Amino acid sequence: MSIAAEQALSRDEQDILQELMNIAFGRASADLAEVIDTYVVLNVPEVRTLKVVDLPEFISTEISDHDIISIVEQSYLGRFKGVALLIFPSGAGRELLNLFGDNVEDYGEDVSMAALEKESILEVSNILIGACVGKVVELLDDEVSFSPPRIIIEDHPRNAIPCEIFEPNSLATVMRTVFQFSDRNISGYLFLINSSESFQWLKKALNLFMEQYE
Amino acid sequence: MIFEQIFNMINVGLVVLDKDLNVRHWNRWMELHSNIKAEDIIGSPIFSCFPNLDNPKFLRNCKSVFKFGNFSFFSQKLHRYLFPFKPDSTFGSEFNHMQQSCTMGPLRDESNVVSHIYLSVQDVTEIAAYERKLVERNMQDGLTGIYNRRFLDTKLQEEFSRHKRYNRPFSLIMCDIDLFKNVNDTYGHQCGDVVIKHIAALMGSVIRDTDFLARYGGEEFCCLLPEADFEIACSLAERLRQAIEQTEVTFDGQTLNITVSFGVAYMYDEVEHAEALLQMADDALYAAKKSGRNRVVAAP
Repeated sequence: MSIAAEQALSRDEQDILQELMNIAFGRASADLAEVIDTYVVLNVPEVRTLKVVDLPEFISTEISDHDIISIVEQSYLGRFKGVALLIFPSGAGRELLNLFGDNVEDYGEDVSMAALEKESILEVSNILIGACVGKVVELLDDEVSFSPPRIIIEDHPRNAIPCEIFEPNSLATVMRTVFQFSDRNISGYLFLINSSESFQWLKKALNLFMEQYE
Repeated sequence: MIFEQIFNMINVGLVVLDKDLNVRHWNRWMELHSNIKAEDIIGSPIFSCFPNLDNPKFLRNCKSVFKFGNFSFFSQKLHRYLFPFKPDSTFGSEFNHMQQSCTMGPLRDESNVVSHIYLSVQDVTEIAAYERKLVERNMQDGLTGIYNRRFLDTKLQEEFSRHKRYNRPFSLIMCDIDLFKNVNDTYGHQCGDVVIKHIAALMGSVIRDTDFLARYGGEEFCCLLPEADFEIACSLAERLRQAIEQTEVTFDGQTLNITVSFGVAYMYDEVEHAEALLQMADDALYAAKKSGRNRVVAAP
């Protein structure tokens, strides 16, 4: 679905969204510490509106720290609607497995280390995305449900993200943040890509949110 | 009233837990599969009947759903099941427990606070059985039942990396049925199939349990020999050659004597990639063919 640029979020609305996300991520960070026993630093998010076809290149430029990456995708469905992408550098699975201290022995003999590392990535993604999106929609007075997360790209060069993973011909609001697990050498990127379908509602919700402060 | 009926009639297990993880609701599906009546479990901690759930991962995910109102997914692939129930259908005979796909999600009170969580339990034993069959078929050669080329290519890379990492011995045998075109031309392709099946079965019975025998192409086979040094590989190839030489294949009342030529290659440090090892065995096989067939030639 294509959409006229004027229907996208205005500069002011993007600023409000950024501020709201900042509050939401602060809360998410505090609660995450309780759930996974480690502090996750969520940097100040950036918000911008892009054409979906430009996303792969945008993402590839934004994550230039890592050459080989894995991407987890999870969609959220409410009035706030879109896709979350979590981008980890190659090898993060092993670090995350150590973080949880899960044992291979707990899962029966036919489960490989590689499967367990993948599962750790999926579980962390589910919790991180759940925390960040959950806190954002709480502030916007919405509720969302989530699809199961899945690894869409595994150990792939970052400059070759296939564009088929996105629906073309539409605009998206991209919310990007860098996260880092303190005391652990794990960091990555979170992109929330809201489809244009939720723009109208989002504009209203953002204005309602601002009214509390006016 | 209608919602209560749905809760009990639906073909999915449904459980509601409170903040202390005590069971608040337990539907009929759960009753039937667990043999635990709702009135016997409601009010008790879920761990009292299912101590297997008292693990960090389950607790972590409960916390997350209460905190963030998100959903947690326990896929069959890794977890197999959350609740150890007996398999329900005939597909279950190959599994000790019902295979389950479980989801955990938030339930909110009037002030929108997550006060309870639900667990849904779906029986996916049938899907898991089909998937297992598909995976098997994906590795198998349709005619002979031994491994196929796709499996071989993957396994070769794995074993090659394993050798590089741990420096363990690793050998490979390539072999090809001698004058197979004559068999097809004289007795027809059905006979050719019988010969290929016979040779595959015979070789399968001679190799070690730890070896991987695959059909490489039409009448060509490849055998990966992990932990086999040069002598072991050559003597195994020779045993295979002799076993085939001594066997008779019967088709349509006729008896055929079949022979096979072998090329053996052994992995050493200078071999830089898996394909090179394969090429060495293939060259040795070619030499075996050139020098009169029905023999074993080792790569230099």
